[in-house]
Amino acid sequence: MKLRRIAVLLRKDLFQGPKNFLFVWAFLGPVAISLVVSLVFGTLFTHEPTLGIVDEGSSQLVALIEELPSINNREYTESSELREAVASGVVDVGLVIPSDFDSLVSQGEEVSVPVYVWGESLAQDRTVLAVAIANQIRELLGEEAPVEIEAVTLGNEMNIPWSDRLLPFIVLLAVVFGGFVLPATSLLDEKEKRTIDALTITPTSVGEVFWAKGALGLIISMVIGIVILILNQAIGTQPALLILLLFLGSIMAVAMGLLLGSVFKDVMSFFATVKALGIILYVPVILYMFPSLPQWIGKIFPTYYIVEPIVEVSQRGGGWPEIALNTSILILIDLLLIALIAVTLRGKRQYAV
Amino acid sequence: MNWRSIGVLVVKDISLFFRNRLFAVITMLGLVAFTVIYFLMPSSVDETFEIGLYAPLVPPALEVIQEEEEGLEIIMVESEDSLQKGVVDGEYLAGLVLPDDVMDVLLQREILQVKVYFASDTPEEIRDVVDIIITEMVFLQIGQPLDIEWNEEILGPDMAGSQIPQRDRIRPLLAVMIIMFETFGLAGLVSEEIQRRTAWALLVTPLTVRDLFTAKAIMGILLAFVQAVLFLVIVRGMGEQPLIIITSLFMGAVLLTGFGFIMASLGKDILSVTAWGLPVIIVLSIPAFGVLVPGAASDWIKVIPSYYLTDTIYRVSHFEASWSDVWGNLLILMGFNVAIFSVGILALRRKLQ
Repeated sequence: MKLRRIAVLLRKDLFQGPKNFLFVWAFLGPVAISLVVSLVFGTLFTHEPTLGIVDEGSSQLVALIEELPSINNREYTESSELREAVASGVVDVGLVIPSDFDSLVSQGEEVSVPVYVWGESLAQDRTVLAVAIANQIRELLGEEAPVEIEAVTLGNEMNIPWSDRLLPFIVLLAVVFGGFVLPATSLLDEKEKRTIDALTITPTSVGEVFWAKGALGLIISMVIGIVILILNQAIGTQPALLILLLFLGSIMAVAMGLLLGSVFKDVMSFFATVKALGIILYVPVILYMFPSLPQWIGKIFPTYYIVEPIVEVSQRGGGWPEIALNTSILILIDLLLIALIAVTLRGKRQYAV
Repeated sequence: MNWRSIGVLVVKDISLFFRNRLFAVITMLGLVAFTVIYFLMPSSVDETFEIGLYAPLVPPALEVIQEEEEGLEIIMVESEDSLQKGVVDGEYLAGLVLPDDVMDVLLQREILQVKVYFASDTPEEIRDVVDIIITEMVFLQIGQPLDIEWNEEILGPDMAGSQIPQRDRIRPLLAVMIIMFETFGLAGLVSEEIQRRTAWALLVTPLTVRDLFTAKAIMGILLAFVQAVLFLVIVRGMGEQPLIIITSLFMGAVLLTGFGFIMASLGKDILSVTAWGLPVIIVLSIPAFGVLVPGAASDWIKVIPSYYLTDTIYRVSHFEASWSDVWGNLLILMGFNVAIFSVGILALRRKLQ
């Protein structure tokens, strides 16, 4: 086994890959699906209202508005610049604070404040901005309302939005497509075109070809997995742990792909089988979409051990103690699959010595 | 120009196109998928905060706020239990409980105790907003309104209460995407003719290079244009000015056919055409995404030719733009068409020579 030969094979696959539709789709498919899901279920474009401010003097109101967590704000130097930003929808509302604003309001004199409102801004955003500005002006004046608010939270269970429910599906799709389908089809393509025979006439061993295909799948599935997590703002507070989980999950997908790639003779029969049996891979994520279904069923399927730890870390804020058991099972499955590949490789012909 | 031969060539290309399973499936699935995506997206915009209120007496200030702020809707409930149920079920963003003696407390300027119910998944920002609304209500009720004159100017058409639903916003994007994906089909067909050298075989017949390009252009424009029109008819996206929309779509189809020629001249086979085509399509999609997130894209977006297509369809569909409003866009689009189409034909002609 020579690393240099594996690297050469891997480089060939990586550079030739972009000419292959499946390779391109392995990158774009999960990203496109993720964007569609975000659009349909509205996480990508949900936003806090944005306020644009031009401070003609040096009002303390600007600093007070910056403290508000419920709104975004942007500062502009010129009124015309602010007007343009409002007209194009960069900000929902534009506020021009006159130079003597602070002194006039503190003296109780009437102040005239120009306000630009973007016509397409949501009514609720306008309301939030209006009451928030009023509230901060009162804070500027040191006024305190005689009210005590007692907040009572109802319900224990967190409502899982559909965008979150679908995240495991998209992550698994990325890992499976890159890690499972790509190495398998790449191997089968070599078989169909008989280039694998040509390779084994050289000092390259079948094992090295498998290593190169495996590394290709591993790289692609991890990169896409990370991109999907970033796109869905699910990278969480423990990115290193998530990357480790993606790595272990990708190993499982790659090993399964290589196994199937070594068993089947051509791409068509591989795809026919994947079409018929591929649903098995996705059972855990389908169960995750419907929390009312018995979740224990998912544990029967190997991909559960990819998805569950990732969801635990990225969505529930879990750490190693929470994922230790499932991750250990994932490692065991990985080792078992690698052993199976090693057994399969023993029977492969090698022409060169 | 040999129109009979061109007609035969167009019919041959269309039948070849649908004989290629990949393109036929992508075409049909694409149209169905775009339609499904459209119907899956929200058909209305909920732009108000619904707050449930249980109170024996409603302070007039609360009614004043509700009248002034379009984005706020206070819904009276009969009991605290139904208020809690409404909050848990997501009917209300928050549930307010005011004490029996609310008016007496406020008149005597004593501290008012307000209980607010939130669902467990209510974001912190929303809780802040509700607190601010209550505080402002108390200030108004105790006779401490802010002495500020807001000189409000609405920029652009005021859409409050009649916002464009996400599905309608995305409509031009989907129509443009349909046209773009057809580019792959055309480029693939042309590259196949070059790869198999059938293009040269055709040129041995009385068919001229000009006839060949005309046939390919008609085929590309037809495929893209018919599908985009069909899609907009299905999703009722023709608006009040169908002629402008049809003209824009036709010009868009011409533009994308030009890009198809360029892609075909760059690629060697269908897979490399796909690889070349994806970056082109991604860049051309950017203006359509700009429509979805107004303000996200800056002026540089106008460099991309598809901006003038998307912007025209969007303005005509949603803002009743007429010929006089969009003639500038159409003129620029025409200019891009001439330039891109000429480059495409030159590149292909060079390849054929």
